[in-house]
Amino acid sequence: MAFNYDKYLRVDKMPTLWCWGCGDGVILKSVIRAIDKMGWDMKDVCVVSGIGCSGRFSSYIDCNTVHTTHGRAVAYATGIKLANPEKHVIVVTGDGDGLAIGGNHTIHACRRNIDLNHILINNFIYGLTNSQTSPTTPQGMWTVTAQFGNVDPTFNAAKLAFGAGATFVSRETVLEPQKMEKVFVAGFKHKGYSFMETLSNCHINLGRKNKMGEAVQNLQWIDDMTIPKKKYDALPDEEKHAFFPTGILKQYENPEYCESYDKVIEAAQNNTKVKM
Amino acid sequence: MSLVTAPQDTPVWVNTNRCKACDVCVSMCPAGVLAMIAAPSSTLGSMIEVVNPEACIGCKDCELHCPDFAIYVADRKEYKFAKITDEAKDRSEAIKNNKFRKLSA
Repeated sequence: MAFNYDKYLRVDKMPTLWCWGCGDGVILKSVIRAIDKMGWDMKDVCVVSGIGCSGRFSSYIDCNTVHTTHGRAVAYATGIKLANPEKHVIVVTGDGDGLAIGGNHTIHACRRNIDLNHILINNFIYGLTNSQTSPTTPQGMWTVTAQFGNVDPTFNAAKLAFGAGATFVSRETVLEPQKMEKVFVAGFKHKGYSFMETLSNCHINLGRKNKMGEAVQNLQWIDDMTIPKKKYDALPDEEKHAFFPTGILKQYENPEYCESYDKVIEAAQNNTKVKM
Repeated sequence: MSLVTAPQDTPVWVNTNRCKACDVCVSMCPAGVLAMIAAPSSTLGSMIEVVNPEACIGCKDCELHCPDFAIYVADRKEYKFAKITDEAKDRSEAIKNNKFRKLSA
């Protein structure tokens, strides 16, 4: 018996609206398998997504879902988690959603170390609105807003999250669905902000003008620039800039925000001050 | 709904209502089990077909990489999978070089 995805899907919404070969579907599958592995009741799971191709995520998975405004998915999720600390909140944003317009929300949620599971789908472009430069677009790439090649330096999302204070930072690619599932399970188990960057393909809006118009070519391009963390650490420093390390990049313990906030509630009830 | 229990003697099966013909499963298959066939009614003009079911090694790469929940692989209890052979590897390469289309006999 094959894995029954339909149990976790809104079957009447299938087939998905995503383009053929889009990595978002692979990520959705991995999230479903990770939820299944965690043994969570779908009534206790909340998926929050913003605007973009990644925003469709909340339409297909059958649990409590919120499809929010552009860039504010993390802000909504923070509220949901604070009001329901026992529920499991998964935030899904794209690179434009989570790093450009919503970058502010992302870094401050990282700083608070609230127990959210943030999956950032990085496809290196604004795919939904037809190929505008996003913060993660590689230099030299053609986009609608950089017709002679993009010169903006590229954002490293995982480093940003770690610098901002997230206690679990990982990066995976859609080429390794099983590794991705394992990383999601580790992230879901982690108490604190889990920032899981996932490199995905957009062969339609990034690929067509950049010589990788087929899904397979775009996936090969992602494969060529990623390397497991162990191999990355062994590389000499001058070669490191060409690769993205994958796997769990950082994980450590720090006080979680919902637990810290309980102290405020206690202090207010006793009319005292919070002891930190 | 997709069928999740393997039909009799079937290693891999497809829900063609969901398949968008993206070629990803064919590119991942190491044994040349899958190939695309011409299908004028499909949006991209092609559709997936299980061309060599007896060569399937049950690695599940096609199922894991399918973004559209369209392809399913049987459990090891349900079907006795083959071992990979050089012939299967060559066929897989030939299909990939044939733009993922089924090889003409």
